[in-house]
Amino acid sequence: MAENDLNKPEIDMPAELRQQIAVTTLDRIYNWSRSNSLWPMMFGLACCAIEMICTAASRYDLSRFGMEVMRPSPRQADVMIVSGTVTKKMVPQIVRLYNQMSEPKYVIAMGACASGGGPFKEGYNVVPGVDKFIPVDVYVAGCPPTPQALLHGLITLQKKIEGEHIPNTRWYKKGEVEAIPVPILGPDLFDPRNSELINSETHKPLPVVETIVEGGETA
Amino acid sequence: MNGLGIFKGLLITLKHFFDTYLADFLHRQKNLPLEDKRGMVDSSGLFTVQYPEEVIESPEEFRVVPFLVYEAGENGERNYRCTSCGICSKVCPTQCIYITRKKDPETGKPIPSPEAFYIDTDKCMNCGFCAEFCPFDAIKMNHDFEMSTYVRGETHIFNKEKLGKPVEYYAKIRPVNYALEEAEKAAKAEKTTAA
Repeated sequence: MAENDLNKPEIDMPAELRQQIAVTTLDRIYNWSRSNSLWPMMFGLACCAIEMICTAASRYDLSRFGMEVMRPSPRQADVMIVSGTVTKKMVPQIVRLYNQMSEPKYVIAMGACASGGGPFKEGYNVVPGVDKFIPVDVYVAGCPPTPQALLHGLITLQKKIEGEHIPNTRWYKKGEVEAIPVPILGPDLFDPRNSELINSETHKPLPVVETIVEGGETA
Repeated sequence: MNGLGIFKGLLITLKHFFDTYLADFLHRQKNLPLEDKRGMVDSSGLFTVQYPEEVIESPEEFRVVPFLVYEAGENGERNYRCTSCGICSKVCPTQCIYITRKKDPETGKPIPSPEAFYIDTDKCMNCGFCAEFCPFDAIKMNHDFEMSTYVRGETHIFNKEKLGKPVEYYAKIRPVNYALEEAEKAAKAEKTTAA
């Protein structure tokens, strides 16, 4: 960790002490370690998955960011990369996997299809955006996004994690977090009796993010 | 003999380590064509692209989301090349382009310029048909892929201001295409003046 990352910039320190002492917050250390050991879940849905595989391979090398272990189990994963078209048949399984992931958990919607349905937006069998069902943290645009674009998305996610504040974060509060109801396979997917819970989970107020990403929009 | 295999494996790793320096030495000149650059072809050694620090150069025909070409006026106003003919929105396979034509506020006659121009990047599949079919070279495919966002909705629907890019930018990212188009235009202009 570089000295500038560790020190809290608001705290004024004498120059001769800078190399020896670091004054920082728990948030900063905790978020730094968390953001540099994100383990993505290994599953691909469509052509974006090919780009995701390429990102993990040696040319672009996800392990430079501490993400080399693609976990095949949701219990060991921190970030879910929804890479590809989410069909109505697949969405119950995706929500189930999301519920099974241990917290803290993040979701990246990779590509046009996962973000908003893409070319199949009005299709009969495709969900218009996975964010209608699970909360999405970062949207990566492109069709498909190149490995570098996915890396940019992952860096954007890291910046979001670094801006988090432990007492504000949902999973460190008391009380249980309710699981998102799994959609029922069928033409409607939503169970109207659960619509309130689903909407409160997927349309959450935007988190306060400190860092501004170049080229991207901040919340 | 037992244990020899591990040394063979370590030797391969060591060879790659030295090959990296050798390849760096061989590709040390700048301004090499893209296909001869380090890590592109026949490169030995490590060839990981250190992405945020070192961005791999996009080939000229690389395409992400389209942008609108404009010529900057004297007072910094944007003179879009687009004449709002609507061919791009008709040809778009995903129907993600939305255009309305400008109207003269006094006479009510249409002006060949776009009033509103929206592209929904959640639908756009980067096929490049719009750029291919545009008769005025007004819409072109961008190279900028760093478009990750925290929110969807309005930020993913690009308006005219967000889509607009100056001609110089187009000439920078697609120099060969730009030169061809300019030559074609010059030849056409010459023909009309001669006739």
